[in-house]
Amino acid sequence: MRVTFQEELDQLEASLQEEGALVLRVLRGALNALAQRDVELADEVIAFDDDVDRLYLEIEEGIQSLLARQTPVAIDLRLVLAMLHTNLHLERMADYSVTIAKLTKLVADVEPDPMLLQSLEDMGERAEEMIRVALDSLANRDLGAAESLVDLDELIDRSNRRFVERVVEIVAEPGLREWVLRMVLVSRTLERIGDHAVDIGEQVAYLLTAEFREFTDASHPERA
Amino acid sequence: MTEEGNVHQTVTMPPMRPVDVAERQEAEPQARDTVFDIQGLTARYGTNVAIKDVNLEIYRNLITAVIGPSGCGKSTFIRCINRMNDDVPSFRLDGRVLYHGVDLYGDGVDPVEVRRRIGMVFQKPNPFPKTIYDNVAWAPRVLGLKKELDERVEKALRSAALWDEVKDRLKRSALSLSGGQQQRLCIARAIAIEPEVVLLDEPASALDPIATASIEELMHDLKRDYTIVIVTHNMQQAARVADRTAFFSLEVDDSGRAGVLVEYDETSKLFTAPSDKRTEDYVTGRFG
Amino acid sequence: MATLEPALSLRGDRRVRRRRIVNRAAEWLATIAALAAVAVLGIVVWSIAKRGAGDLSWGFLTKSLPLFGQPGGGIAPLIVGSAILVGIATAIALPVGVCIAVFLQEFASPRVRAPIQLVVDLMNGLPSIVIGIFVFGLLVYGHPENGLAGAYGLAIVMLPLITRATQEVLRLVPSAQREGALALGASRWRTVVGITLPSALGGILTGTVLAVARAAGETAPLLFATSIYANTVQWDPRHAMPNIPVQIFIWSESPDPADHKRAWASALVLMLFVLVTSLVARAAFVRSRRKLSR
Repeated sequence: MRVTFQEELDQLEASLQEEGALVLRVLRGALNALAQRDVELADEVIAFDDDVDRLYLEIEEGIQSLLARQTPVAIDLRLVLAMLHTNLHLERMADYSVTIAKLTKLVADVEPDPMLLQSLEDMGERAEEMIRVALDSLANRDLGAAESLVDLDELIDRSNRRFVERVVEIVAEPGLREWVLRMVLVSRTLERIGDHAVDIGEQVAYLLTAEFREFTDASHPERA
Repeated sequence: MTEEGNVHQTVTMPPMRPVDVAERQEAEPQARDTVFDIQGLTARYGTNVAIKDVNLEIYRNLITAVIGPSGCGKSTFIRCINRMNDDVPSFRLDGRVLYHGVDLYGDGVDPVEVRRRIGMVFQKPNPFPKTIYDNVAWAPRVLGLKKELDERVEKALRSAALWDEVKDRLKRSALSLSGGQQQRLCIARAIAIEPEVVLLDEPASALDPIATASIEELMHDLKRDYTIVIVTHNMQQAARVADRTAFFSLEVDDSGRAGVLVEYDETSKLFTAPSDKRTEDYVTGRFG
Repeated sequence: MATLEPALSLRGDRRVRRRRIVNRAAEWLATIAALAAVAVLGIVVWSIAKRGAGDLSWGFLTKSLPLFGQPGGGIAPLIVGSAILVGIATAIALPVGVCIAVFLQEFASPRVRAPIQLVVDLMNGLPSIVIGIFVFGLLVYGHPENGLAGAYGLAIVMLPLITRATQEVLRLVPSAQREGALALGASRWRTVVGITLPSALGGILTGTVLAVARAAGETAPLLFATSIYANTVQWDPRHAMPNIPVQIFIWSESPDPADHKRAWASALVLMLFVLVTSLVARAAFVRSRRKLSR
């Protein structure tokens, strides 16, 4: 029954996963540009964001049309709402990657501090992993995977703590000051990417349990 | 952000309407009186079991919808509530239908008295071939409510949102009204005798969308004074209109097919997170 | 410009042509049969009219019956007598017939309905001469002839007609109407009196008018009950009442040719009455049916 409707839902979800793959590429590109101080790559990343935006709009309009025409209810409705939110989170993640690329361009001529850079790379890899887990948990309807994002977020926090320690150590050096400031923004941005991945996990949990629950954050460790 | 040749026009919209939040919260009382307590209801036509072992409570001043696929016994169920099935020769009922604690099928209960308190509006509008006034006034006259008949008729027609349209032609034939107006006339007719409960058996299925919308609006207003039970095959209508929804489905076993009550809950819960898979399959259109 | 040749010839082959001929022949046969029926009625009407129209006059309709052998005279007593007889018969048959029909359609269970329905249908087929003898044996034997007995006989003729017609119209009232009334808390009989019967009134009237037309021409029930009467207008039904059908019979047996002419004229009057009332009844029925079936 409702084969056309089911096909539409499947199409939208496939587009969403495609957008996720694009976001991963954008983030990887930004991280590489940062590590290699590659201004051209940074520009490519910034241009590539347009592709993500286009897909974002497409999915938005697809959801709007589906809601108007098909009046989804129950699990279908929850899926559509989850897709709506995930779409937004993915688009934000791409925008943050662009932010990283722009920051890279601003201080490309500065010799970076290797330890700081390493922390940022670690954080970046954690963020990538979280995006992958979030997308997979949605595709496989895996509640466990969605809930595990909280623990992965914890890993970003740990990397971030090491990052801050190093910043405190080298912030006094005059030549690095601007670079360090920019890198603090980069780390903030990577943390936010992680938060958005956790949000996607929350949407998956809502889809599967029909309850919207904020996953534990640092301030409420008992509410697991 | 316009594409070639694509002119985006802005739409004029009125500003946000102020809502008195405190007043709205107060309008939703929490405690509900039970009007009907249905226990173990099983209805048969001869050897066919139409509905089996139905248990539910219907609450005062709410709209309760009954939905389900064709043949699941929705109409049978609602007709059990006001003893309209009595005239079907092979009809038999087991279980109890308690109306304010009194079993409607108990000894000594007069079906005519039952129907005085529990009215019914049917799928196809069936006004009498009389004037509009007489349609509404007939039952009160017959039941002895002859005092202030004009006021009673006007009140009923106002409650049915029909007064303004017919006040200048009360003496015209009821058959000269449109389908939607005729159905509202039937509703006015039903509430003219001041029942407590109004049962509606697919009241809008014979009407066009605009008439349907007016009937749905009407039900929102009516529930202030009456308890309403509506059978509908249109799920979206139940979703729009009802406070609580009961989902009936067909159960097939070796003794045959019978309608059973699968789930009964607040409408928003039934349509966002139903507890039973059968309900989910039905409301998402995967089956039925 | 190329035109497409249809794969199947649209013109039709031999089989199709034969079908068409058969079709045309059947149409013609049906038309001829219908014309024949109309022709029969036409012949009857025309022959009566031809023989009776000459004597028809206002005086004929208003004067008293001529004494034996006398010329002139009129059929005023017959008209009055027939009217009274049919009037009484209607007064008996109408309420009884309607009540029986209401009982059968609205209240009777299928087990009770079947035998009573059968009885009504049998009554319809009762030969009028049998009714006449029955009325004679029960009410006239040992007493002087009287119009009331004749009226009872006519009522027996009218009863099944009125009952049937009423039943048909009651059936036409949509059950949705009854359900609507019952759902309002009205009892069954209130529903019948307030909703069902008023809707059926048109049809009941029509049925009655048709029964009247039929009863006006019935001879046999009156033959033994009210065939010996005076030649002036009689108002009291306890005496024998003059009436048209019996008088036609009497005159047709008479040796006097003037009586034969009077018989034709009376037959014409009777026939015109039946024709007019039947047409009026038909028109009224069609109108009431249109009003009901919406």
